[in-house]
Amino acid sequence: MGFWIFLGIVAAVALWLVAVYNGLVAARNQAQTAWSQIDVQLKRRHDLIPNLVQVVKDAMGYEQETLTKVVQARNAAVAASGPAQAGPAEAALTVATRGLLGLVESYPQLKANDNIRQLQEELTTTENKIAFARQFYNDSVNAYDNRRQSFPAVLAAASLGFAPIPLFNMPEAEREVPKVALR
Amino acid sequence: MAATTDFVAAQKVNRRNTLVLLAVLTALAALVGYLIGWLVESESAGEVPALSAAGVAVAGMMAAVSIGWSALSLALGDRLVLALANAKPIDKADAPQLYNVVEEMAIAAGMPMPRVMVLETDALNAFATGTRVGKGTIAVTRGLLDTLDRDELQGVVAHETAHLANLDTRYMVVVGVTVGLIALVCDVLLRSLSWGRLGRTTRTGSSDRKGGGQALLIVLLLVVAILAPLAAKAVQMAVSRQREYLADATSVQFTRNPNGLISALQKLADRAAPFPGVSRATQHLFIVNPVQTVTSRTPALLATHPEIADRIARLRNLGA
Repeated sequence: MGFWIFLGIVAAVALWLVAVYNGLVAARNQAQTAWSQIDVQLKRRHDLIPNLVQVVKDAMGYEQETLTKVVQARNAAVAASGPAQAGPAEAALTVATRGLLGLVESYPQLKANDNIRQLQEELTTTENKIAFARQFYNDSVNAYDNRRQSFPAVLAAASLGFAPIPLFNMPEAEREVPKVALR
Repeated sequence: MAATTDFVAAQKVNRRNTLVLLAVLTALAALVGYLIGWLVESESAGEVPALSAAGVAVAGMMAAVSIGWSALSLALGDRLVLALANAKPIDKADAPQLYNVVEEMAIAAGMPMPRVMVLETDALNAFATGTRVGKGTIAVTRGLLDTLDRDELQGVVAHETAHLANLDTRYMVVVGVTVGLIALVCDVLLRSLSWGRLGRTTRTGSSDRKGGGQALLIVLLLVVAILAPLAAKAVQMAVSRQREYLADATSVQFTRNPNGLISALQKLADRAAPFPGVSRATQHLFIVNPVQTVTSRTPALLATHPEIADRIARLRNLGA
């Protein structure tokens, strides 16, 4: 009798541990999937920006400081990899692209250009998608961390290979919209 | 999950409620079926059987109807709704901004991209439908596309995405079937009761032999048969209104910008253009009720949607 009760308790504990482990795996996978979604959108932005720069340059007939800044920020962002590096680089790129979009807004002949309008919408949606994907990624990382740091997972998570995943932050300090000068 | 908890939890609750509702519905249909069979058999035989064979047969029939009706609505419901509303699927090239906004909201909700459709009318409205996870459709009117700016459109699409993410679209289908079936069953019950009573008046002598218990039961059944459809309708509308509030809140969770939806709702309230050809059968699906106008108010108890002013006030509380 006592043996069977003991066996029952062991089985229950084992089932519980399996559930804890599977929960950790699911949470980690969700965070990783969420990161790949951000990655897709960041790449899309990196591809869009040269097009927009080119079209603006063609329409204006000369290069502006804003355009050079955007191209520099874009190249720096392409070189960065992983949430920790990409965060600041992408934040800088966001500021630069806003400057470019602001430039477009202040020139009627640019605003009227169909190509530019289309690229503008694409860039806006990509910026939004990055923001929403980031929101979902950070929520997923939070959920993963909550599981990893709860008892009993906290005792074994690190030794089972459930390493911490960094949040994706784009520092807010550089977010002021830059002034667009006419020359 | 930190911020995603709300709609993930809402989805879980809706899933469970759907199952409970289906079980209760089937049991109820079987019970009423048994009562009808039992009444008919005891009337025609002139005595009360312990276990009515006719009752069991009708009960089985009613349960089958209930399950079949639900299964059919869940399988074909969204196709029917889209056909009724005359929604046309679009590509990204037709309405890039709408398409992009839907994509954004799908990313925010962490779910697959729903289908995008447009209703060719000047009225300002939108709805979502879908009975399976990841197989939803979001439809907006042409008038809405032409009138709203990007942020407002995003608010409306977020509200519809919230209905899909919360699985409200499936839950409301089952609620609709329940209400319809309760109305049908009560109708059948009323008819069979009057038929039974008619049978009894032709054989006046025999009615005295039956106990007062059965007479009381018949009166009780009569009251239930008259009140139940009304109560069911009121419950359905209450659930519908509550889902609207929840979708408004979830939409802000996605966009982190209550102002878009607030300003969209204001425009929808101000420019209530007539919505020709809209069916009363689909009115509860839309973001604002397309049938009721400002002048013809339905009593609050039977309204599919809360007052827009009330919704805006609640959104303002979310920190607009």
